[in-house]
Amino acid sequence: MPRSTYQRLLGFIGKLVVVLILGFLVLPAAVVTIAAFNDKAILSFPPQAWSMRWFAKAIAYQDFRDGFRNGLIVTAWSSTVALAVGAMFAFALNRYRFRFKRVIEGVLLSPLVIPHFTVGLGFLILAAQIGWNRSYTVVIACHIVLVLPFVLRSVYVSLRNLDQSYERAAASLGASPLRVMVTITLPLLLPGLVSGWLFAAMLSFNEFTASLFVTAQRTQTLPVAMYNYVREFADPSMAALSVMYIAATAALIIFANAYLGLGKVLNIEQTR
Amino acid sequence: MNKLADQDARTQGPAADQDGAVRFNAVTKRFGETTALDGVSMSIRQGEFMTLLGPSGCGKTTLLNLAAGFLSPDGGEILIGGERMNDVPTYKREIGMMFQNYALFPHMNVAGNVAYGLKVRGVAKQERDRRVEAVLGLVRLAGFEDRTPRQLSGGQQQRVALARALVINPTVLLLDEPFSALDKNLRASMQVELREIQRKLNVTTIFVTHDQSEALSLSDRLAVMSEGRIRQLGTPQQIYRQPCDRFVASFIGDANVLRGRLEGVEGASAIIAIGPVRVKVPCGPLADVARSAAVDLFVRPEHLALSEATEACATHGTIVAHVYQGGYVDTYIECGEASRDRLLVRSGGHEAMTRWPTGARVGISVTSGEAVAFV
Amino acid sequence: MRTFAAPALLCAFGLVAALAAVLQFSLRAYVPGSLDPGGFTLANFTDLLKPLYARVFIDTVWICFLTAVSTLIVGYPLAYALVRSQNAILKSTLLVIVVTPLFLGEVVRTYSWIIVLGNNGFINSILLHLGIVRQPVQFMFTTFGVVVALVHVTMPVMVIMLAAALSHIDRDYQRAAESLGAGPVRVFLTVTLPLSMPGVVAGVTTAFAWTFSAFATPQLIGGGRVNMISNLVYQLGFASFNFPFAASLCVTGLALTIVVLSMLRLASRRLETIEPH
Repeated sequence: MPRSTYQRLLGFIGKLVVVLILGFLVLPAAVVTIAAFNDKAILSFPPQAWSMRWFAKAIAYQDFRDGFRNGLIVTAWSSTVALAVGAMFAFALNRYRFRFKRVIEGVLLSPLVIPHFTVGLGFLILAAQIGWNRSYTVVIACHIVLVLPFVLRSVYVSLRNLDQSYERAAASLGASPLRVMVTITLPLLLPGLVSGWLFAAMLSFNEFTASLFVTAQRTQTLPVAMYNYVREFADPSMAALSVMYIAATAALIIFANAYLGLGKVLNIEQTR
Repeated sequence: MNKLADQDARTQGPAADQDGAVRFNAVTKRFGETTALDGVSMSIRQGEFMTLLGPSGCGKTTLLNLAAGFLSPDGGEILIGGERMNDVPTYKREIGMMFQNYALFPHMNVAGNVAYGLKVRGVAKQERDRRVEAVLGLVRLAGFEDRTPRQLSGGQQQRVALARALVINPTVLLLDEPFSALDKNLRASMQVELREIQRKLNVTTIFVTHDQSEALSLSDRLAVMSEGRIRQLGTPQQIYRQPCDRFVASFIGDANVLRGRLEGVEGASAIIAIGPVRVKVPCGPLADVARSAAVDLFVRPEHLALSEATEACATHGTIVAHVYQGGYVDTYIECGEASRDRLLVRSGGHEAMTRWPTGARVGISVTSGEAVAFV
Repeated sequence: MRTFAAPALLCAFGLVAALAAVLQFSLRAYVPGSLDPGGFTLANFTDLLKPLYARVFIDTVWICFLTAVSTLIVGYPLAYALVRSQNAILKSTLLVIVVTPLFLGEVVRTYSWIIVLGNNGFINSILLHLGIVRQPVQFMFTTFGVVVALVHVTMPVMVIMLAAALSHIDRDYQRAAESLGAGPVRVFLTVTLPLSMPGVVAGVTTAFAWTFSAFATPQLIGGGRVNMISNLVYQLGFASFNFPFAASLCVTGLALTIVVLSMLRLASRRLETIEPH
């Protein structure tokens, strides 16, 4: 298509705007990386001397270590349970008609709009009332409810996109419903299940506001430990931890994009 | 209703007495308010290639899904091999099915797809390999075992789907518009191949399509359906040459509708007057019609001919366009006196084009006794 | 079917129970020095009308509004570029840059912004170094600083929702408009933008809800001078153990969210008439 000067100018401005916005998105990560390698305990730009010592300090810091371990425990349980519960319910939603279907779906999706501090306070009060004071169970239950909408959506979308004729073909070839489920439905849903689980795990590991309400010193997750650190100390250990965090997350996202196709998972592929 | 029942008995002949390989007895299926199938009865013989043909929404796919067990009927019964199937789930029906998009399992290779039905039946590995190899040979795909469906062309995918359906020796083969995704040339050769294999294995086949030329060329018999009922059941020849009503006459092949007048009845034939010309048609559909009533005569384009405009012609018109089709020419004619619509005349060669230019006035005559008339 | 729905039912029940607990507490009296609430009362809700608390509500809604609209304006071009870029590598890069912050969590991102916006942070260092300003510009503890960080928090989800809407617009609509003589700006304003409205509404709605829910950003960057409902709830709960009043704030906040979101939805109903099919 021939392009006029006007169109070229528009295209150039458009590209410039996009580059500026990307700069805005990347800026904090870039700045925190510079800060993490600063030798001094006090922030200064540009740093006078470089050092890796804050990384060593962050890794050695006991609260971070505990938070990381607690976070893994909570994440492993909540994302796995949420995957099982969400996948089963998505299946029920897709295949059956039953009473209060829309109501239950609405309730399960509601954490998307209910502020996390409200959910956190609710679980805190509930736990206090039934005497499970701030145990792992409460933290995990709270996280399950918070990440469930994402799993539910992810699995439901892949179920809806699953062509019914695969299952019908298997049935016509003599496979019983259970066999169809195990040999056809589940393998074909696998990308949706994996991405649902991955989303749930990443959201759970990073959940902060509700966790702040429902965790105790013994059960605090990494984001809560980081928050407490930022409130008390100003040295670049937190910057070093942030850099590790950003690197690990970016690596996971790149992996997910390569193996699952983020565009497809997020439903943002140009259809025509 | 009565007329349809007559038709059924007449075209089916002695076969109606036998127990078919597949039988539908007064099958009814409703989806909410709409009735998708309204008391459909049909018997399909062992080894027969039966086509269900009709416009979309006519109920043909519903009937196929009922045979497969993906749906269950609201009334009537379905028998396969003499056994009532109403409450038998799909996986116990011993059917083979080919889907419109083939539905080859994307997470299995060709061998895995074809072996699936055998594995489910617990066939031992050696026997399984032997049968997979044999059936892939049958569909001319030997050596493709390790390919994935995505690595195959459309025609190859279709052959795998056919092999997968046939390897389990199904009592009935169900085909749901399997050719609709193929381009025209490939379609023709795949049709020939399918028919050859079907004859060789003598497997009872139900084939669903909305493509009438496909239906005419492949079927032993075909059922023309509309609005949840079978309008006519018969051999392709019967359906094409003796359509039982207006719907069938206009749905199958091209048809010109000429305004005529019923002049009289001679035995099994009725005489229709079109201008100065008299045409003999089967009197069946006109049994109760009064003398000199207006009737519509349905004539195939190849049964009309162009000539110089003379008094002796059935009717006259002006040529609107010639459409060159290679082996023949389709000529469209504006003809106010005998027909509401433009007439279509199909003539061999291309003389028609050179002899009468667009805008020329021509006479039209009916060249064959194979016309039908309805009120 | 029961086997499939039962665990989900249990989860739904847990959530409803937690929310019911909040509602119940909001109607109970606060007994200073005790964690157990007193008798039933409406006092918590009448207390909310005090100017101090009313102010926080207004500020919260204002910050949510500013954040949602700014995120929309900044996110739209990026979503457009993401959907329309033809180059696969460029597209993947954009996608990774957009999605990664979504999973960084509020604390890491807020901390990073403190380093960017602080008085001896990145931006002020540059401004001072270049001699543009003599005194550090005060970004911390201002509404501006909070909104900038919040826009960064809500950006990924906004871009994803806009991109989802944009990617489902048949490009033939745009080609048709072009063939009819519309220039690129006109095509965008008369075809692309109206057809992407469902995504705009979904994005703004989610950005609004997420901002409402934000805690670490207003807490750390607002530093007590920019307060949102979430900060007040935390303060009341963990500084003065006034759970009943915190609960009433939650209930009112939730009601407010629902009102604002239904208003948005109502507005989008009118837009649905132009949605294709």
